[in-house]
Amino acid sequence: MQVLDFSQKAPYDFIELGNTSLKNTIESSHRLRNIDSPTNYIGNFNRLNEHEFIVNFDEKKLDMIRLVYTDEKTHIFGLDTSSIELGETSNGLLCAVRGTIVWKDKVKYNYTRYGPFIFHVTENNKQFLYNKLRQMYFGASKAAPTPDVWWMPGRIRNILERWLQGQLSQSCEDSVILWDGSLTAWTIDSPVALIDDMLQMARSRGNVVLAFSKKTKFTIFGRRIADLINNRDAPCLLDLDEIIRQQYGNYLCFFGRVYAAKLTPSQFSFRLDVDREIERETGINAVQKLISNDIVVESYPETLRLAHILSRFSASEIIGMQRLIAENFGIRTVFRPNIRQILFGPYGGGLVNNKMIL
Amino acid sequence: MMQIYKIDANTVQVICCPPEDVNRGDYLLIEDVNSERSLIIQVINSGYVNVPGILEDILRSSSTEKLEGVDLDPLEVKSFVNIIKDAELFTCKIRGALNKGKLSNNVSWIPPRSTSRLRKLPDVDLIKLLENEPQKGLDIGTLKGGGQISININSIDGKLNIITGKKGTGKSHLSKLLLIQLVSRGGICIVFDVNGEYINLGYTKNEGKTSLYDRFIPLTPGNDFKVTPQYAGLGVFLRVMENVLGLPATSAWEFRRIWKELKKQDALTLNNLNSAIRAVSNNYIQDALLRRFESLINTKFFTDDWSVATVLEAEMDKMDKGGALIINLQNINSKFRQIVVEFLLSKLSQLLENWGLKAVFLFAEEAHLYLRETYWNDVVTRMRHLGMFTTFITNQPDSIHKSVYRQADNIFLFNFTNEHDLEIVSRAAMIDVETVNIIARQLPPHHCLMLGKVLNNFPLIVRINSLKEKTMGETRLFFSDLKIKKS
Ligand SMILES: Nc1ncnc2c1ncn2[C@@H]1O[C@H](COP(=O)(O)OP(=O)(O)OP(=O)(O)O)[C@@H](O)[C@H]1O
Ligand SMILES: [Mg+2]
Repeated sequence: MQVLDFSQKAPYDFIELGNTSLKNTIESSHRLRNIDSPTNYIGNFNRLNEHEFIVNFDEKKLDMIRLVYTDEKTHIFGLDTSSIELGETSNGLLCAVRGTIVWKDKVKYNYTRYGPFIFHVTENNKQFLYNKLRQMYFGASKAAPTPDVWWMPGRIRNILERWLQGQLSQSCEDSVILWDGSLTAWTIDSPVALIDDMLQMARSRGNVVLAFSKKTKFTIFGRRIADLINNRDAPCLLDLDEIIRQQYGNYLCFFGRVYAAKLTPSQFSFRLDVDREIERETGINAVQKLISNDIVVESYPETLRLAHILSRFSASEIIGMQRLIAENFGIRTVFRPNIRQILFGPYGGGLVNNKMIL
Repeated sequence: MMQIYKIDANTVQVICCPPEDVNRGDYLLIEDVNSERSLIIQVINSGYVNVPGILEDILRSSSTEKLEGVDLDPLEVKSFVNIIKDAELFTCKIRGALNKGKLSNNVSWIPPRSTSRLRKLPDVDLIKLLENEPQKGLDIGTLKGGGQISININSIDGKLNIITGKKGTGKSHLSKLLLIQLVSRGGICIVFDVNGEYINLGYTKNEGKTSLYDRFIPLTPGNDFKVTPQYAGLGVFLRVMENVLGLPATSAWEFRRIWKELKKQDALTLNNLNSAIRAVSNNYIQDALLRRFESLINTKFFTDDWSVATVLEAEMDKMDKGGALIINLQNINSKFRQIVVEFLLSKLSQLLENWGLKAVFLFAEEAHLYLRETYWNDVVTRMRHLGMFTTFITNQPDSIHKSVYRQADNIFLFNFTNEHDLEIVSRAAMIDVETVNIIARQLPPHHCLMLGKVLNNFPLIVRINSLKEKTMGETRLFFSDLKIKKS
């Protein structure tokens, strides 16, 4: 089995740009001049809610795929990222991002954790920061319209996530790679070409990318998918691909085949996207390798759960970072968000169907 | 850095982050620069600050599966997080206040949170507050920071002390330390030594004689400590016979008659007493008297031979530069102990009252083993008034009478873990229950919490000095006993 050392690679520009933003040395002259409207991105910020798929179809048409366990040994890799707001300053906000790659070998789980990277995003530097990062990590040559400062932590997090996904695509071989989220491209965060490239790269090295979405809710005539699948049938997949694409294909670009996955008998099921360019059977086999090589709890792979919890910030880390900023950079926070709110609020929380993932 | 978190009545909570070298028992000063006032507080407990999210952190890191990894943490956030996680919360008690540098007892003042500064009170400053004149002091031990604690002789002189703590914590050791220094400063002391562990105080550990060798006079009742009936007196005899040996009142009356008769004839000897008792016509009384008298004789504590008898005045005369009578009560039965103590207490009262003995320091180990019910009050009231200053040493705090706790001037508290024991001690109103409960439980061996006048009412944790002298307090070991027997 391959031994990978991710610790040799670091997103140096995150470190440097973060530091520069904290030292407040980004001059307005740094601003990029050519701000063209985006061409190769789909969607806009006022998007429809990706997380809710209301599927209208006849139950009988659902194709249920029973999964079987296999002896085939495969490396499972997972990655996740998170961002958090640390406070407001007189001219912007402070935020931190962190990402983690987790993989399982024969005996244990391993991880490489990147960050926290701390940024001071202001009206003055947001354009520079954002486009510089995009340039460096997405290879985007053109500047994109910069989001509002409030959206920046999420955008920066996304760039880190894409970079880590790229790292895995380039380094892994014959493995199952788990992404958090979906394989749908539709916003500024998901440049079509970039995702295409990464999937292509992964594929060429014999990997299969599976994306688990914690947030997507499927309802069929008001009933949750999980309720439709009998516990006896788990582990299994429900192929929702055709139905979903029929209904949403006009708005979204689907890089993945969409399934509902119930991998253990439980009250949970997740949306699972499997790289569309891979043979359907190969994709399903990859899910079987996943359940045979990883621990799956409540339908969710442990590798991905660990990546999630290792990335998330705890309250003590938030306080620690606030202290670091005050001590090392002398930046004064004028307003500190309530820690409970940021940790457990709608976007910061780690809720899987109302169950907190620690 | 330390900051005030909360003040509630007598309790101040202090947050310390990053950690400083502050321990339970240490004193802190809360200074308000603007008003030149400060509060003196003592840390009695410490713990972690309840930082939000710690539970989550712990749960996360205790993932059931094996997990190993590398952190690329360029800003070294982790070290900052650790500082937060290690932040300490001190629970402190207010012990005093300073107003323009002077000790004041107005502790109702609340220091402003924003302008107050907190710092550890260094030993030197603390010792100044104790208002002890070192040259007049007895060297007792050291504070954690190395500060030497010596207690003013005046805070022991005329006072009632209690040394208590569980077995083997160093109570007798402290009592020996006090004893040696009192003796070397001219004090006259009596020790009720139930374990025979003070008798070698005149020797060094390698069997040489110490400079105070002559001043420690071990007396073993019935052996080298005997008294004549005349010297003991009727009072002692009667009290012993009645209270210790249970002689009925009518028989006591008869004994009194015999005694007075013999005394008139100047024929008060044990032999004559014996014959006179045997001549009592009432068989019942004769029998009652004879049995008691014989058990007195059997102790061999009484003699008619003045040349072997002890006369306390003579012993006291020898101790004009200070000294101690070590009454070895080891290996003698409870009744005999009571007889000896009865004799000594009554004699000492007389000497203090009539003979010109100015003061005597009594060290009473496990006094409940020999002190009669009626004496407890006597010791802390009448005899104290006469000049007998007692130090009770016990590992059973409930064996000491409540009145003694109420009257105690100083308590030397060694480790206790037993709930019941702690409750008894904390009744001695000298200090808040919390301090006793928390600090006493955590005292290491040879350390004691000193309470009371002895240190100007500032409770202190003191490590008691060691002794050069042979102490014999050591736990007897099977093998070392074996060696002694062979040689
Ligand atoms: N301050 C000290 N320095 C060095 N040794 C000490 C000190 N205090 C006590 N010791 C030693 O610890 C042992 C126990 O001490 P000590 O006999 O005084 O305990 P204690 O509390 O009187 O016990 P007990 O309840 O059994 O009478 C002895 O060997 C003694 O020499
Ligand atoms: Mg003892």
